Formats: sequence, C-alpha cells, structure tokens
Amino acid sequence: MKKVLFELKDVWKIYCMKGTETQALRDISLKIENGEYVAIVGQSGSGKSTLMHVIGCLDTPTRGSVVVDGKEISQLEDDDLAKIRREKIGFVFQAFNLIDSLTAAENVAMPMRFNGYGKAESIKRAKELLKRVGLEKRVDHKPNQLSGGEQQRVAICRALANDPEIILADEPTGNLDSRSGSEIIALMEELHKSGKTIIMVTHDQNLAKRAKRQIKLKDGQIVNE
Amino acid sequence: MIDFALKDLKGHRVRTILTGLGILIAITAIVSLGSISAGINEMVTSTTSKVGSDTIFIMKTFDFSEMSGPPTSWQISDISQEDVEAIKSLSGIKRAVPVLSKSLGGIMEVDAIDIDNLDIFGADDLTFKEGSMPGNDDQGAALGYTAAKILGVGAGDYITLNKKEVEVMGIIEEGYGSYDLVILLPYKYGEEIYDAEGEATQIMVEPQDVSLVDEIKNTVADEFEGLDAMTMEDALSMSKQMTQTLDIMTLGIGFIASLVAAIGIIITMYTSVLERRKQLGIMKAVGALRRTIMKQILEEALLISLISSLIGLGISFVFVDLINNVLLGGTKIAVITPLLGIGAVAYGVMITIISSLYPAWVAVKTDPIEAIRKG
Repeated sequence: MKKVLFELKDVWKIYCMKGTETQALRDISLKIENGEYVAIVGQSGSGKSTLMHVIGCLDTPTRGSVVVDGKEISQLEDDDLAKIRREKIGFVFQAFNLIDSLTAAENVAMPMRFNGYGKAESIKRAKELLKRVGLEKRVDHKPNQLSGGEQQRVAICRALANDPEIILADEPTGNLDSRSGSEIIALMEELHKSGKTIIMVTHDQNLAKRAKRQIKLKDGQIVNE
Repeated sequence: MIDFALKDLKGHRVRTILTGLGILIAITAIVSLGSISAGINEMVTSTTSKVGSDTIFIMKTFDFSEMSGPPTSWQISDISQEDVEAIKSLSGIKRAVPVLSKSLGGIMEVDAIDIDNLDIFGADDLTFKEGSMPGNDDQGAALGYTAAKILGVGAGDYITLNKKEVEVMGIIEEGYGSYDLVILLPYKYGEEIYDAEGEATQIMVEPQDVSLVDEIKNTVADEFEGLDAMTMEDALSMSKQMTQTLDIMTLGIGFIASLVAAIGIIITMYTSVLERRKQLGIMKAVGALRRTIMKQILEEALLISLISSLIGLGISFVFVDLINNVLLGGTKIAVITPLLGIGAVAYGVMITIISSLYPAWVAVKTDPIEAIRKG
C-alpha cells in the first residue's frame, strides 16, 4: 500500500476582511498518496491557490485537520512549517519568484543553505541540477538575463534542491509561451516518472487532463474527482 | 550566510552608503572630540607627574576682566619683587623659585627659571637633540622640540623675544609633554629681556615638610592680597575638571549624532525591508526560518556599521593629524587611544545593530503568501 502524503479532513479556511467573512475553502477532505500526479483545477477565485497554500504548509486552516507525511500541521508554528517546506516540498510558482540579486546557481542553492549545507556544496549540487535541465551555461546568470522558460527551469531546480518527495506547482506555465510551457510540463512528467509526487494547480484543461487525477474546485468546495 | 548579506549590500550601493553615513559621522565626531580630551589628559598627566605633589604654585589671582582675545594671548601679570622676596622669607619653606612666564601669543610660552632649580619643574632630566642647556649666567635659550620646529631654528640661530635677539643654545628632544612648546631662559636673562627685575609670574615653593603645605597655602592667602597658592594636586584637579567638561561635551555631541544616525538606520533599513518583501517572502516560502531572516538583516547591519565605523575612525586619524601637525605644528594635543578607537567602533556597531532590530523584526514577520502572489 502506498504512503499517504497528504490527508485533509473537514478543512475550512475563512478570511475576515473588514467584518466580511470569505470562505476560501469549505469542508475539504482529500487524500494524496506518494507518487501521484494530481491537478487541482477550477476557475479563478475557486480556492485552488488557497488549497495549495494549505497543502504546501504556507498557511494553516481555520478549522479541520491537515496531516502532511504523518504530521498534523494545523497547529504548528511558522518555523516548524518552514522546516517541513524545505525538507519535503518543492515549490514552483507562476511568476517564478527567483531572487533578482542572486545568480541562477545561487537561487537553486538557497534552500540547501537554509537546510544547513555549506556554500560550496550547495553551489555544486545547484550546478548539477541546472545541467540536468540544460542550463549549464546559464549558472552565473541573474534572473533578468534569462528567458521566462529558463527562469522556470531554474525555479524547478530550486524546488528539487533538497530532494523533496513533493513538487507543488502553481500555474507553472501561466507566464510562458506554449513551447516553453510544453518543456516545463515535460519536465514535470519526467519528475513524476522518477517517483516524485506532483501536485499542480491550473485552470488549463489540457494540462489538467495529462495528470492522473483531477480535483475540481468551485466556490471553495471539491465538486468532483 | 554573510555572503547573502554582502551581496544584498553590494546590490543596493546607494542605500548601503546612506545607512552607513550617519554612523560614519557619529564615530568621526566622537573619536575626533574624544581625541582632544584624551590628548590634553595625557599631556597634563605627563607634565604634572614630574612635579612633586607637595610643590606649591603661587601666582596672581586670575582677573577675568583683564582677559580679552583668545586664551593663548592672555598674559598673567607679574608678582612684584617685594612680594617675591617676602614669600622667599616665609617660614617652613625649603626653597622658593620664581618663574617668569610669557605667552608668545600662540601655543608657545617663554619660561625664565633658575636653571639650578629646574628639578622643581620636573625638568632636570631634559635631554638635548642639539646643543645644551644654557647656564644660569648665559645669555641664551633652550627650545622645546616643537617650539624649535615652529620657529624653524636650530642651535646657534637667533630668535626674537620682546624685540631682543636671543641666541638658541640648545634644542630639547621630542616627547616632554608641554616642554615641547617651551622656550627656556635662565631667570636672570629673562629679567633682562622682559625688564622685570626680581619679578615673577609664578613662584614654585617647596615646603620643608609635606605637613606644612596647608599652612603655607593659608599664609599666602591671608597675607598677600591678590595672590593664589595651590598645589600640583589642586592644579591637576582643575585641569581634570576642564577635560571632564570636554568629555561631557563629547558625550553630548556623540549622543545626538548617534541618535540621528540611529533614526537614519531605522528608516533606511525599514524601507529596505519593505522593498524586499518579495525576496524575504520567497526565502520564507522555500524554508528560511525566522532566525535565518533575522540573522541576514543583522548581518547586513553588522557589515554596514563595521565598515562605516572604521572609515569614521580613519577620518578621525586624518583629523587628529591635521590638528597636531598642521594646526599645532607637531604638538600631540589630540591622541586616539586604543580604548577610544576600539570603543567607538564597538559603539557604532552596537547602535546599528540595536537600530536594526525593529526592521529585522518586520522582515521576520513577512508573510510568504503575500510575497509570492502571482504577478
């Protein structure tokens, strides 16, 4: 039997803004097992990004239970969540979110540095990762010297830096042309084949169809799986 | 991860310079002013320690109404020949040595004294760079190292005192504190140069016994109107008071300068944190702990403060050199002691770190979700 990586039970996320309550997630329950390739789909405002933040330990639920790799996270402090993120989860964002002042290799090395690795060791592994995605000649380039597709590949390398089990991708092709987008998806699929659990948030039906499992959200609720 | 901090500082040069500027100015002010106080202290201590603590000075009571212009041009009026003789014959006195001191309108001073009694000044151990000390019957002068440098003369040359040509017979070696600035004359020759027969600006009195010091001081105060008597200790405590005032001034200016610097640091560091919300949020999203973020901001502060404090210290050294060598022609009136230098740098670092605590706390509180929102 496969290991359950994520288990959400009756999860609610409610935001209070100026006295108005917004229910971003309503009574979500789901399980994701090790090695799955899941697409979370839905219109904008459906709660898919909020769900990804909760799954990705960037946020905690207002109510309900979230268990990540056997650990209940809903009551954890900031630093405990950060430790889970850096060890178990790699993030890929739509806007790449690389740090402008650092080179490609330094961006990739950053999570390793946070995990206690030395500078030389981290940079060495960062360069290996960048080589794997065909960016060996771009290691010393700053993000603004790279194309969108290249930046996203750097971001994927950063996500892989600490060799996490899970890759969480939030609209990873959203800011890319179709060719670069296809390359990124191919890379994701390759990672899935190598055993990573991929959870991808997207509103692109074609992308979602390539996943083995789809979770569709509407108004903060799962409407079908 | 000091390399991250360094990279960030290099990437924002103007911001970094602005943050450090306040500390640079504060440290320069503190060290420069402090160096003058330290220098005066050192000079007073080195001069007075040579004179016995039971030696009594007698001089005219300061009349402030007579003083005009810069303090260096003040001339202390002479004690009359009659009073000099009367003091010499007081009971309980081992010896009374009259000294005729004349300011040259600058930082130099002429002292005419009985050469055989130089030890009462603590000046009997002077060694000479050129020539030698004139004897009591000689008509010549011995110049302190700096005085000779300022006047640009050597042994055998002539200088003008009170419109009279005086031969330079010897130049004293450097490093005798206030003697570096003195022109020494044999007392008799001084009387002649200044037309002041039997007069003195001060009388150095050595009592027969330490226990008689107070009695002699009281007798002078009671019997001689317009004369003051004080011991070396009294003089020392007076000059201590003066340097204390200078110290308080240094502290006051230093405090205000560092307050301004601290506010500057808080503003620039806070703005820098706000500007970097996205970067800090990304760092948190990919697993930076709160203390990692705090450490990075404080490391930046440490680097900025160390560099600016050291530059400030460097500027102070230039300032001290200007004061000592250009303005005063080689007198060590301003001195940067190791304690002052190291203390000021440590203070600069401390102020910066403390001022950066709030911006660092704001950085720690950055919400990663807000920072990584699309776009």
